Amino acid sequence: MNPLTLSIFIMSLGLGTTITFSSSHWLLAWMGLEINTLAITPLMIKQQHPRAVEATTKYFLTQAAASALLLFASMTNAWMTGQWSILEMENMTAITLITLALALKLGVAPMHFWLPEVLQGLDLKTGLILSTWQKLAPFIILIQMAPALNPNIMISLAIISTLIGGWGGLNQTQLRKILAYSSIAHLGWMIIILHYSPNIAMLNLVLYLVITSTIFLLFNLTNSTTINSISMTTTKNPIISILIMMTLLSLGGLPPLTGFMPKWLILQELAYQELFLVATIMAMTTLLSLFFYLRLTYSTTLTMTPNSMNMMSSWLTKKNLKPIIPLLFPLTTMLLPLTPMLYFSLQ
Amino acid sequence: MIYFVMLMLMCFIIGLVGVASNPSPYFAAFGLVMSAAIGCGLLASHGTSFLSFVLFLIYLGGMLVVFVYSAALTAEPYPESWLDWPVLVNVMMYLLGVGVGVYYFFGEWNMMHWMGVDELNNFSLWRGDLSGTSLMYSDGIMLLFLAGWVLLLTLFVVLELIRGLGRGALRVV
Amino acid sequence: MTPMHFTFTSAFILSLLGLTIHRTSLLSALLCLEGMMLTLYIALTLWSVENSSSAYLMSPLILLAFSACEACTGLSLLIATTRTHGNNHLQNLNLLQC
Repeated sequence: MNPLTLSIFIMSLGLGTTITFSSSHWLLAWMGLEINTLAITPLMIKQQHPRAVEATTKYFLTQAAASALLLFASMTNAWMTGQWSILEMENMTAITLITLALALKLGVAPMHFWLPEVLQGLDLKTGLILSTWQKLAPFIILIQMAPALNPNIMISLAIISTLIGGWGGLNQTQLRKILAYSSIAHLGWMIIILHYSPNIAMLNLVLYLVITSTIFLLFNLTNSTTINSISMTTTKNPIISILIMMTLLSLGGLPPLTGFMPKWLILQELAYQELFLVATIMAMTTLLSLFFYLRLTYSTTLTMTPNSMNMMSSWLTKKNLKPIIPLLFPLTTMLLPLTPMLYFSLQ
Repeated sequence: MIYFVMLMLMCFIIGLVGVASNPSPYFAAFGLVMSAAIGCGLLASHGTSFLSFVLFLIYLGGMLVVFVYSAALTAEPYPESWLDWPVLVNVMMYLLGVGVGVYYFFGEWNMMHWMGVDELNNFSLWRGDLSGTSLMYSDGIMLLFLAGWVLLLTLFVVLELIRGLGRGALRVV
Repeated sequence: MTPMHFTFTSAFILSLLGLTIHRTSLLSALLCLEGMMLTLYIALTLWSVENSSSAYLMSPLILLAFSACEACTGLSLLIATTRTHGNNHLQNLNLLQC
């Protein structure tokens, strides 16, 4: 792709998210989301093989339908109350419709069916943009209207998401689909706390973005897209395999690593709200996700060479370690001691 | 006039039922053209003649012509119209749904709620919608720039999307 | 709920249902998206008319520009799908299923 064209697309991606961030009017927020959708389609279709085209088509249809539904719901709100402001939503029908539209945009279950298929059709770099940068704009709208959201709908969406994220990922051997289901499960954790404490949801979003960026960049570094090809990592680069193991465990939320922090804070906040049953269900469903992360670490690191492998040795494409990975990896693993600072600075 | 507008509203819904009930693309495009034309009539009956004109010129004259052209390109040998059974079942189902909605909301309707945008026409030489849309060039200039940027972006997006793997034909033979 | 409000609500829901439930070809899905945008255009105009806020009357034009962009992207995706998959039926988009 021509660098000039590429720069136009990248700038428009930034422009769309910025417009959505800075707007308190539904029409402008909708315009930002549309610019985002339009700007990412050529990046997704870049390889032009049938899978990329199919993924782009599916992504475009779902996102266009979701943003049209968003504008329709805000217009219903305007017809009923005369308000276009995101911060002052009153009509319950409009709030529910907007929640569902944003859930469709983010890929929260039960509107998640497009996410694993779309992510499977992309390469890992575009998948990184899709699962980090594209989540920001819809999530910021959700955070802006957090006090008006209906807690029952959010709790049911969240529990369905964590369950589907855990059960769906158990069945997969493709890393990108596993990461898609892990994204669904993490979104469930974010939206369960959204109504009660938007700050913790924001913290969870930021940490999820950091950990997911690390894992996508590491997989991109080792060119691995299946469990089979990830098992070759130790022979290619033993240090990278250790990094992948730590990052996966942090994604699963094991205690000495960063990923434990948002889960801890969310469970504490749910216990303060006296939602003990919900907190128990959330804590149990994350075991499902932890199972497939552990399976990945088992085939990556814990089975050391020399052993019999199921895979032919692939061509070693020599890739240099990107300087962003040493920056992201300490954030991915060692932020837990900073919990008091992060938590109280958000209050 | 009120009965005429009610007739237009009904035809608008019927046109979109024709789109939604999954006929072949030619017939769906015809339903959309009908709805767009009736939409022009609706807007004109509310006094916003400029926006009605824009809808007619841009939407009907520009975009839907392209859609009809694409429908002609992706032609099927045996198109399904609204009179074929699977489509007819959908049409009946949707019309029934709309009828239930009308029945449910009928008591709350205030039929006489009618208003134009021209309350100020004693003081102004312009219609209300003209003075409203011309704000796009003064106060809403940033929105105009944004829309222009999106149109430029779409040009590049379309060029990248249809690049293909170096094959030029529309169809794979 | 005025007859106007009922009309465009039901028209939008009809187009959304048509897009969601049964589509055989990609072109008719795009036509349903266009139907949604047409409904939104009319609803935005009528909202500004009924609230007599003439400053909002430029929002339908912005909406029309964005929906034209969306329609362009959809049609070029139609062309790309036809090239790679042979036809534009949505059942053929099954390479990535779980």
